[in-house]
Amino acid sequence: MSERAPTLVLDRASVAYGDVPVLEELHGVVHEGEAVALIGPNGAGKSTFIKALLGLVPVVRGRIEVLGRPPAQARRDVAYVPQADTLDPDFPVSVEQVVMMGRYRRIGWLRRPSAEDRAEVADALERVGLAGRARDRFGTLSGGQRQRVLLARAIAAKPRMLLLDEPFNGVDAVSQHALLEAIGSLKAKGASVVVSTHDLAIAHLACDEVCLLNRHQFGFGPTGDVLTPERLRATYGGHALELRGDRVIVTQT
Amino acid sequence: MNWLDSTVHRALVEAVLVGVLGGVVGVFVIARRLPFFTMALTHATFPGIVIAALLGVNLYLGGGLFGLLVVAAVLAFGRGRGQDFTTATGIALSGGFALGVVLVSAQDGFTKDLAAYTVGDVLAVGTGDLVATTAVAAGVLLLLALMGKELLLAAFDPVGAAALGLPTVLLDFALLAVVEVTVVATVPALGTILAVALIVGPAATARLLTDRLAPLFPLAAAIGVACALAGVWVSTLWNVATGASIALFVGLVFGAVFLGTAVRGRVRRAAAVRA
Ligand SMILES: Nc1ncnc2c1ncn2[C@@H]1O[C@H](COP(=O)(O)OP(=O)(O)O)[C@@H](O)[C@H]1O
Ligand SMILES: [Mg+2]
Repeated sequence: MSERAPTLVLDRASVAYGDVPVLEELHGVVHEGEAVALIGPNGAGKSTFIKALLGLVPVVRGRIEVLGRPPAQARRDVAYVPQADTLDPDFPVSVEQVVMMGRYRRIGWLRRPSAEDRAEVADALERVGLAGRARDRFGTLSGGQRQRVLLARAIAAKPRMLLLDEPFNGVDAVSQHALLEAIGSLKAKGASVVVSTHDLAIAHLACDEVCLLNRHQFGFGPTGDVLTPERLRATYGGHALELRGDRVIVTQT
Repeated sequence: MNWLDSTVHRALVEAVLVGVLGGVVGVFVIARRLPFFTMALTHATFPGIVIAALLGVNLYLGGGLFGLLVVAAVLAFGRGRGQDFTTATGIALSGGFALGVVLVSAQDGFTKDLAAYTVGDVLAVGTGDLVATTAVAAGVLLLLALMGKELLLAAFDPVGAAALGLPTVLLDFALLAVVEVTVVATVPALGTILAVALIVGPAATARLLTDRLAPLFPLAAAIGVACALAGVWVSTLWNVATGASIALFVGLVFGAVFLGTAVRGRVRRAAAVRA
């Protein structure tokens, strides 16, 4: 694993909006082809973490390097998948138009999509199992399908790093499976994945590493080592935890 | 003898221009949920007009420049902590209008001019106004054609646009400035208050008729032109206020299409239940 190149380096980094630090003492490394789960209660700073990797929230102490560069300079190789329910479902935009947005960076200003861009869009939709919905309006799809469209948009950008903000929230089993498959195939091609989630089972299933967050880091490392009841209890501030076999369920977040 | 020497001919050309401009820009206004902002702009440009009148410069230039200041202020304030765009817009609306009223009440003499400004008169449109509207329409259509995809992304998913490295603040400013110059350009024909009708109405009507983005633009433009021409025709026929006639047509068409689509939706649902 250590022969693989590091894609994300956190070196005692603090991240702040204005003067108020939201995340402190982030420390860890992610390599090519690895996925890391961001786990923590609401308000822990998971979305802020992802925005910091995009260079949208400044690092005030320490260092964050994405693909060997400062975050804002790595954007052309990083794709961001927002939570589908943060987007206006009434917006008059079709599924294929949304996926095409992933190509805008390559298309550039003042230019129109080429045949190659169209082919990439069709291919990305195919990979999330929504090829038949290309011409439908985005808002007419279910929550899980919309999330898959947003993942297709990221796939169409051909990223070396993929950032997903709570992609599994309120997503049905079919969509969850499709999302996990698509994420797995990106990893197999060497992309790194950062995914925030409340679902510890998914972290076990899909991620090699876990970063436990609640305003500062409560652990960063291999999933099996970090996802312990003690650390989870510390992260969630003593909220009740239930243990069932290998699954840990946070009953209150 | 020039074809444009006729008042009615000039009014017809102006109607076509503002119909197209209002319809096309309206698509973005509706998609981005900016009708309230558009309404606010009509009031917020008011002090600019008064100041221009006091200084003896072109009213629309005054309104336009002042409006740009308001756009910048709304954007800056809307980014402040704990604020959102709607709050900033509300303050711009009331603040701008209040400043205008104070300025007017401190003077006497140009209240008549200003009344014409608030309700507009397309039959009083001069060749200079036509040139100005044509320039604005050409500039706005060119901008939307060139930056359409970036504006679309910034409107639909602002964080996603920023994540791609697009200059979202600039794109927001460009869109709001487009709305602003459209408001100002539409004012000679409809006046400050009724300009909103031609920007919001045709696009909202078109949105009832289609879910797809591409047809929205020609459809909204066509509805805008039709309403503007019908308004001019009715107002010359019966000698009633033109701006208000246009705004009434916009309202009627929206109401008719709304009822039509609602009835069609009911019939479809009933058929689906029977099937
Ligand atoms: N734009 C912002 N400006 C200032 N503070 C913010 C902003 N966005 C989020 N925060 C603060 O940062 C903290 C973490 O938020 P967030 O990253 O959204 O958490 P999570 O995604 O884990 O629920 C929250 O307590 C919130 O108050
Ligand atoms: Mg969040």
